[in-house]
Amino acid sequence: MLGKGGKRKFDEHEDGLEGKVVSPTDGPSKVSYTLQRQTIFNISLMKLYNHRPLTEPSLQKTVLINNMLRRIQEELKQEGSLRPMFVTASQPADPLSDNFREAQPAFSHLASSQPLLPTDFVSTMPLESCLTPASLLEDDTFCTSPTVPHDGPTKPPPPALQAVKDSFSTALDEIEELCPAPTSAEAVAAETAAEDSKAHPSESNIHRPPEGLPESRTAESKLMDSLPGNFEITASTGFLTDLTLDDILFADIDTSMYDFDPCTSATGAASKMAPVSADELLKTLAPYSSQPVTPNQPFKMDLTELDHIMEVLVGS
Amino acid sequence: FLGAGGGNDIQWCFSQVKGAVDDDVAEADIISTVEFNHSGELLATGDKGGRVVIFQQEQENKTQSHSRGEYNVYSTFQSHEPEFDYLKSLEIEEKINKIRWLPQKNAAQFLLSTNDKTIKLWKISERDKRPEGYNLKEEDGRYRDPTTVTTLRVPVFRPMDLMVEASPRRIFANAHTYHINSISINSDYETYLSADDLRINLWHLEITDRSFNIVDIKPANMEELTEVITAAEFHPNSCSTFVYSSSKGTIRLCDMRAAALCDRHSKLFEEPEDPSNRSFFSEIISSISDVKFSHSGRYMMTRDYLSVKIWDLNMENRPVETYQVHEYLRSKLCSLYENDCIFDKFECCWNGLDRQVEFSVIVMTGSYNNFFRMFDRNSKRDVTLEASRENNKPRTVLKPRKVCASGKRKKDEISVDSLDFNKKILHTAWHPKENIIAVATTNNLYIFQDKMN
Repeated sequence: MLGKGGKRKFDEHEDGLEGKVVSPTDGPSKVSYTLQRQTIFNISLMKLYNHRPLTEPSLQKTVLINNMLRRIQEELKQEGSLRPMFVTASQPADPLSDNFREAQPAFSHLASSQPLLPTDFVSTMPLESCLTPASLLEDDTFCTSPTVPHDGPTKPPPPALQAVKDSFSTALDEIEELCPAPTSAEAVAAETAAEDSKAHPSESNIHRPPEGLPESRTAESKLMDSLPGNFEITASTGFLTDLTLDDILFADIDTSMYDFDPCTSATGAASKMAPVSADELLKTLAPYSSQPVTPNQPFKMDLTELDHIMEVLVGS
Repeated sequence: FLGAGGGNDIQWCFSQVKGAVDDDVAEADIISTVEFNHSGELLATGDKGGRVVIFQQEQENKTQSHSRGEYNVYSTFQSHEPEFDYLKSLEIEEKINKIRWLPQKNAAQFLLSTNDKTIKLWKISERDKRPEGYNLKEEDGRYRDPTTVTTLRVPVFRPMDLMVEASPRRIFANAHTYHINSISINSDYETYLSADDLRINLWHLEITDRSFNIVDIKPANMEELTEVITAAEFHPNSCSTFVYSSSKGTIRLCDMRAAALCDRHSKLFEEPEDPSNRSFFSEIISSISDVKFSHSGRYMMTRDYLSVKIWDLNMENRPVETYQVHEYLRSKLCSLYENDCIFDKFECCWNGLDRQVEFSVIVMTGSYNNFFRMFDRNSKRDVTLEASRENNKPRTVLKPRKVCASGKRKKDEISVDSLDFNKKILHTAWHPKENIIAVATTNNLYIFQDKMN
């Protein structure tokens, strides 16, 4: 697996992101391809869910963005099926969590983690579309729903939280049954929250319970599959602001750590994107959910359980 | 002259500019459509505020032989008002998406204007006489006391100042669930089609409570939706033929005689993807924003994000010509995706026909930085011009512009990075019979004519 490190030249005429799209089979360029793909995926999600028009959003635009997301998902699924062996690769958890604290753009922790990679990974070439740096993989696997082994050795959540996870996954299933409309919103939240919580497993222990939602992979894959199906939301449901998931689950969480400017799409040339936390996304999604979550009882029970666990963890 | 010389031999000069001067653009003033009528005497614009402004060309002045008549405001009216859809809790924009003129049959002019949901037929008529000398009414309209009437007289028409009135004659509503993007009048001048994202309806101009659905691409499960209708147009000569374009870069030609619901196309026009240009944005940039038949109906032109393509109706597998509008944007697609510019819908138009030119040979379309482009099919030459107030002396010939894609920028060239993507020319129109063009920037309408010698 040792090979010569390939030097990447900076092309003056092109950004890494803006330049001609590289084929996925180029070795060193595989990283920039994946980076570009991830960027586009993030931008697409933000476009779909960070938009509050008073009028109906353009169906054509929605369809095109959805097709983009689907294509990337498909690609990731295919790649995921080729590289399950890399899922166990080392987790550079701390540097990533540091990056997160610095509130860098959502995808920059991919970029900053590149120096951590052994150069042999980066320089390997042919056929090896599965040879992707582990840190990139970690983020990609969130989108790769069914093929990643749920019980695999990847970053298993701390055992203490297993019970919580289960109750949350059941709660989530219940929510799903009640609100088919917001599931795509949840999928977004799940996907991004998963990204973020994966990025900082150590510090997230405290915050894990409320964000434990995305830890549930089965629910997550269900949600990811339903991601593109948001035409009915935007096309036929109103933007009623009834009681939302946000209100129920995140009401008591201190979100000061996550304060930053929401990303807007109406900027000039490629602007840096603020990190997208699950909170922020859900807040913007709040107006889009059209159905109130009625049965609060099951949630209330889980919340008291959570409170208890939080107290235990925090030691108060 | 047009003809063999083509677009580059026409020297375009500034003629007029209409609209506010300040840089602060009021949203309602954003021009959303431009269309000449069949004689070219009238030029209509629609804006985001739901208003229609019609300009009329002055009759040619014999003493001013160096220029053709100027366009002055003829009529202004509020065509559509904003509405609220209570069921969906959403506003329905009053923005005028398209205007199409009917050919003139009598003294009045008729046009169709549409917003996202409703199409209206407007009658624009002139009044330059009024009856005077009523027996029972005073001149100001008050009724006279009948007991004071001692003689009878016959009212007569007396001249008055010209008044142009616009009145809605038909309102075609409630037929579209999705947003209307096109209307097209049939060559029979009795029917027209309206197209939204998923359906196309056929109307009779006289009947407002019924329309026929002729195309429906809505899937049973909306989650399976991957393609929408982007534009539609009737064939100029064949009243049973129309085409519609899609967001995947395909054009379908349908014959209404084949079936009541034209879901199966007669022809499918699609160019295979060029693998060397493949990118994440391939689909988005292939989405067709406008389709226009040539005057003969033998060709049609489509506009996608980066190019204009000419298709021969007899050849479905690829266009006969492709013209690059702003290829230098291909390496900027990610930014353009992020700032939504990639979704801009540019229109395109053919040259007008006159005695010298009987064919559609020149193509015009807009770009960014208030640039617009013309391509001559015969000479294969193209030119980039700018619509700007800086060139606003009448008879000033427009200087060709050049964008520098990469490398050293020559003098007078503009680099891609200095282009203003907020200054976009989406709508252009060519006078049907003369070399006069109307180019809409965000909120201004420019009129250029060729330099007459």
